[in-house]
Amino acid sequence: MHRRTLLIVLLVAAFLVPPTADAQKPIKVGMPMPLSGPPALFGEPATKGAMMFIEEINAKGGVLGRKFELITRDSKADANEAVRQARELILKDNVDFLVGTLTSAEGPAVSVVAKENKIVFIAPIPKTDQLTAPDKLHPYVFRVASTTTIEGRSAAEIVAKWPVKRVATMSFDYAYGQDVTKAFVEHLKKIKPGVEIVDQQWPKLGEQDYNPFINAQMAKKPEAVFSSIWGGFFVTYSKQAKAVGMFDALKYHFIGVGEAATPETAKSMGADYPVGIWGNSYDAFYWGETAAHKDYVARLSKYLKDEYPSSWAIQGYIGMQFLAEAIKKANSTESDKVAKALLGLTVETPVGPLTIREKDHQANRGQLYGKTVMDPKYPFAIMKPVQYVDPTKFMD
Amino acid sequence: MPDPSFVFAQSVSGLTAAMFLFLIAAGLSLIFGVLRVLNFAHGTFYMLGAYATYQLVQWLGVSGGRFWLTAVGGALAIAALGGLVERFLFRRLYGKDELYQLLFTYALALILSDAAKMIWGTQQKSVSRPPELTGAFHIFGAIIPHYNLFIILLGPAIALGFWLVLQRTRVGRYIRAGALDRETLGALGVNVDALYTGVFVLASFLGGLGGALISPMRATTPGMDTEVIVEAFVVVVIGGLGSFWGTFLGALIYGQVLSFGILFFPRFSIFAVFALMAAVLIVRPWGLLGRPLR
Repeated sequence: MHRRTLLIVLLVAAFLVPPTADAQKPIKVGMPMPLSGPPALFGEPATKGAMMFIEEINAKGGVLGRKFELITRDSKADANEAVRQARELILKDNVDFLVGTLTSAEGPAVSVVAKENKIVFIAPIPKTDQLTAPDKLHPYVFRVASTTTIEGRSAAEIVAKWPVKRVATMSFDYAYGQDVTKAFVEHLKKIKPGVEIVDQQWPKLGEQDYNPFINAQMAKKPEAVFSSIWGGFFVTYSKQAKAVGMFDALKYHFIGVGEAATPETAKSMGADYPVGIWGNSYDAFYWGETAAHKDYVARLSKYLKDEYPSSWAIQGYIGMQFLAEAIKKANSTESDKVAKALLGLTVETPVGPLTIREKDHQANRGQLYGKTVMDPKYPFAIMKPVQYVDPTKFMD
Repeated sequence: MPDPSFVFAQSVSGLTAAMFLFLIAAGLSLIFGVLRVLNFAHGTFYMLGAYATYQLVQWLGVSGGRFWLTAVGGALAIAALGGLVERFLFRRLYGKDELYQLLFTYALALILSDAAKMIWGTQQKSVSRPPELTGAFHIFGAIIPHYNLFIILLGPAIALGFWLVLQRTRVGRYIRAGALDRETLGALGVNVDALYTGVFVLASFLGGLGGALISPMRATTPGMDTEVIVEAFVVVVIGGLGSFWGTFLGALIYGQVLSFGILFFPRFSIFAVFALMAAVLIVRPWGLLGRPLR
């Protein structure tokens, strides 16, 4: 009886305490991101990038006098799970914004949740064009990732310069693989009409044995291969391709998009990397083009306690950066105002200024491209010269 | 008509894949055949075998024949882990409801794979091919890597050795008897507990060896355990659960169907494998070489 009275008193007291001023409450950001299974390769470092940004900005007092609080959830790279997590973050954790998702299945699914709840959602990694296609676009969805159109066309520009006519493609049979391959093929045919697509292989997402596909492809005698086999899967694919002499047969006329040339991939393969191929990456610690980038890499290296910090952290970092700048610009944390502030917003990111277009809520995020070489400074292959391909001219 | 050199290369890649699947599925089939437990965590042993080998390679390197040391060492580590798991956990499952067995082995798979993630992180790991096998043969216009050939020869060698042990040795007779009637075997004075532990250790060794030997051909990443367990299940379902040569045959069929499937159904070759499995289940639910369960 006594205890119950105490409880009631406490409850009443809790209601009597005047609501704390907005200034003291943190701005809550929900981040559904794959943190288990193979996609955690990117999900985890991207989350760390967002965390680093939040720690840094909180140390400076946050925005509008309020600190950020990041709530991460494992979306398991599954659209249904990502939706469930996003709903829970909004309803239970009362997050103010969503920044997150990785695969091209999760992004569009969470976008629908953002639309229903009228909450700003910034997608830092999914590339499928469908995320910001006219019929899917709504006032609350934004993307700071690259797109399949940008990536496919950037690769086509590089392949068009090679002395090759017979080109083949190797991609996973799902949204990202199909979209980026289509963009590549269409653009290549447009800028170099003499090119012939001699073979297209479509292994299932996550394939472990590429030999049958490589054999079938090489039987068609291509002179160049475009691949979008990504992440750890590229390690498996390229090891098997190298063993049967594919890269030699192609005279290294091979381009791997889907971040085949990240420092992480090159590092994990060491001398086994098919040095001489072309590839891309969102970031590379050795790029060091600007003072801002060098500074970012130094801070990240310290934060991750890694001499060669991840190239994926940048996407979580930039996603949060856009959100913080938009809140500042809107002078509010209301999603409606922040969404308006994001339109046309330009942010000085570690990779240079990026702008979110009003037309399709898409940032002009390009990627680093280059031919891989061994550099005596590092125990693995790097892109050299590494070039940031500005995507503005590839965006419709 | 496809180019003969291509057909040859394709069948070789199918054979390589088949031998790996055999190594893994054999352990799965052995545990089911003798212990009557469907071990969902077997794929995790395969993954841990790859990680253990990677770790040993980090310490020892792959040159000068040391790859073989690391591969066998990795497999032995998994065998030891298997011994502990059987002795302290698995033993409580025998004769229990199948649902409990499945839940337990599934939980074990989740726990072990999370433990692997804590130790080795989420980044992909890669092991180089042993320098003595990095070359390739040029046969009939196709390039066959030495390492693949080694795997193709190793598979039947292990199968044969295994079969000889099962058929010609006293331990083999005990194992076969244990599969048929555990209680009678115990009544005849055989230490069944030790026998079961031995079988589990052997099966774990095979799974670990599969992971160890595959590490030069693939990336070692979290999640490779669940991928392989599905394939291994398909193999044993086609071949017959608990049937030794059935597993071998199932693996061979799986490899070739997948390899040549992409010629006929370029985007649905995995479908061909599952269609085959469904057909086998309809016609012979106990698998090609399996025996109907009571």
